[in-house]
Amino acid sequence: MSRVLLADDEPAIRKVVRDALEREGHEVVTAVDGQEALERFEESRFDLVVTDLAMPRLGGLELVQEIRRLSPVPVLVLTVRNEEREKVHLLDAGADDYVTKPFGIAELVARARALLRRADSAQGHPGEARWGDIAVDSAARSVLKAGKPVHLTPIEFQILTTLLKKPGAVWTHRQLMAEVWGTTAGVTNDTLRVHMGSLRRKLEDDPNRPRWFRTEPWVGYRFSPEP
Amino acid sequence: MKLPAVRWIGYPAAVLVVGATIALLKLFRQLTVSSVALLLLLTVFLCASVWQSGPGVLAAVLATLGFNFFFLPPLYTFTIADPRNVAALFVFLVSALLIGRLSALSRHRLELIGAERRDLLSLTQLSQGFLADTNRESLIGVAADRLRQALQCREVAILLADDTGELARRAETPGMVLREDLADLAYRQGNSAAYPSELGGTDIYLPIPIGLQRAGVLVARGLLSSERMAEACALLLGLAVERERFLGLARAAAETSTSEQMKSTLLAQLAHDLKTPVAAARGAIENWEKESGASEGSRLAGGQLDALTRRIGELMDVVRLDSGATRPRPERVSCAAIVEAALARFGDALAQHSLFLEPPPTDLAVEVDPSQLTEALGHGLENAARYSPAGSTIRVSVAEDGKNVLFHVSDEGGGVPASERDRVFERFVRLPGSERVPGSGLGLAIARSLVELNGGRLRLGDAPSGGALFEIAIPRAAR
Repeated sequence: MSRVLLADDEPAIRKVVRDALEREGHEVVTAVDGQEALERFEESRFDLVVTDLAMPRLGGLELVQEIRRLSPVPVLVLTVRNEEREKVHLLDAGADDYVTKPFGIAELVARARALLRRADSAQGHPGEARWGDIAVDSAARSVLKAGKPVHLTPIEFQILTTLLKKPGAVWTHRQLMAEVWGTTAGVTNDTLRVHMGSLRRKLEDDPNRPRWFRTEPWVGYRFSPEP
Repeated sequence: MKLPAVRWIGYPAAVLVVGATIALLKLFRQLTVSSVALLLLLTVFLCASVWQSGPGVLAAVLATLGFNFFFLPPLYTFTIADPRNVAALFVFLVSALLIGRLSALSRHRLELIGAERRDLLSLTQLSQGFLADTNRESLIGVAADRLRQALQCREVAILLADDTGELARRAETPGMVLREDLADLAYRQGNSAAYPSELGGTDIYLPIPIGLQRAGVLVARGLLSSERMAEACALLLGLAVERERFLGLARAAAETSTSEQMKSTLLAQLAHDLKTPVAAARGAIENWEKESGASEGSRLAGGQLDALTRRIGELMDVVRLDSGATRPRPERVSCAAIVEAALARFGDALAQHSLFLEPPPTDLAVEVDPSQLTEALGHGLENAARYSPAGSTIRVSVAEDGKNVLFHVSDEGGGVPASERDRVFERFVRLPGSERVPGSGLGLAIARSLVELNGGRLRLGDAPSGGALFEIAIPRAAR
């Protein structure tokens, strides 16, 4: 059982999300704004924080920043459509993922589950991964699709292993660049997009409609092993 | 030393002073002739420097005659016994005249410098006054008064041109009469006019310059200052008017941006208030289905709520566009990134279709708000999916056309008849026969507004495949 801290100023949304998370078997503590959430967070230990973006007193972005000062606990943010800059800020500030309103409860629960599992399996075997018809062994630098070896360029391999570190999570363009190239200087979103495209051509069944390596429009990329 | 009010007083004064000096010198018999000459020269110098040229010359002549008559032997005659004294007397005359002339000149220069200093001082005060005024109406009113003092004139009028180029009197000394024809000439041709005034001094009509243009005309009647001073004042007035115009523009811009920000905050609040109850209801149904299993009723309710959410979203888009709260934030993005983003966001709508994507040229870029163009292109994708049969192909391509980039979405549906292609961009317009297809009739209208907001065009045409062609044209960004 995991303990989840839920912050939202809308009572109806709080109730619905709380019911769904409790049905998943989690213990849920609620807060009506960011300030109260921060107080609850300082009082006890949580495995996941789910927070609305726009709240009175202390907003979602500020809450993420405060929490990141205290702990590496996974944070999931409820955002609104077309606010890509806001999303990038959130992720760069340390949020792990977001769902865009209007979101389905199933989607929210699935994201929460992915974040909790990742926190759990952080000590597992990050070098090996299997999903769909793909198997990756980072140590051996081997990638198999449907049992056949796939040749990846060093950059593509670097992008792949970076994304595999956090299954289900969104990486902003800047975060990916920093991880893959070691710098964001001289690397453009287009450079990244071109490498991503060729990685998809090698691993996706339909590179125009990627299943595993999703584009988060104007934010970054997400590796989602469960379509 | 103060300038005498009446100039002719210098002549009798010079006669008196020279006479008195001679009488005084006569009292001191022990003085040598050369000492007397020097003292007389000093007197000439004084007369010339106090009363200037004319009295100076008179003093020089009188002193020469007096020197000859009273001091050169034989005394009390104008005859000169010693021929050497003739030369001395001549030298005395020339020196007296020269000294008189020089001292008068330097006196005159001093006065000029004083006048210029006064002009400069008034100009400085004038410009400080203009800078202190920040409101146009009060600026012009106060400017007329300030100018009247600075220019030492009886009456001042300021005429400024309005937007249509008509001159209007914006400020004037009460009861002032002026010649409209001269003012008009000064404004249209930029020629100044000056003539002697019946009020004394000069009447002058000066254009008020703003850069190479003219803002209006400055009229001064009974002007005592120089024309140069008046021109300098007109220049300052031009700068003040121009500054006031810029301040007005800055204020207006600040007000617009505040009101736009307020609108967009209010609309965000409204959207939130509309969507939250729907989202909560949708979530409650999902929870209920999880617990008690889905029923036909729950699925219907869920589907209806999803439709409602979409309607609210579209209506909010329209309201935002109408209220001017949708401000594009343009940045340079590659066309390939736009296509990728649109497919990522709206690709689900294409699940029943096969997608053919021509890889966009990698170096093609546009300067747009990325979200807005993605959204517009997304409406094209959704429309293609709605109005073409499942299993048919939807084609997406990007091409360069002159200065533009063309984004194309073409389908294999029935297409849109040429006669209806403008009408479908109107709000709530749906073509006959499309009643069964879900939709509000807002998508294309929103898409067109978004494209035009980003400097592009959106039109419908015939696809080579026989269906509809959705075409966005956006100016290409420089490479």
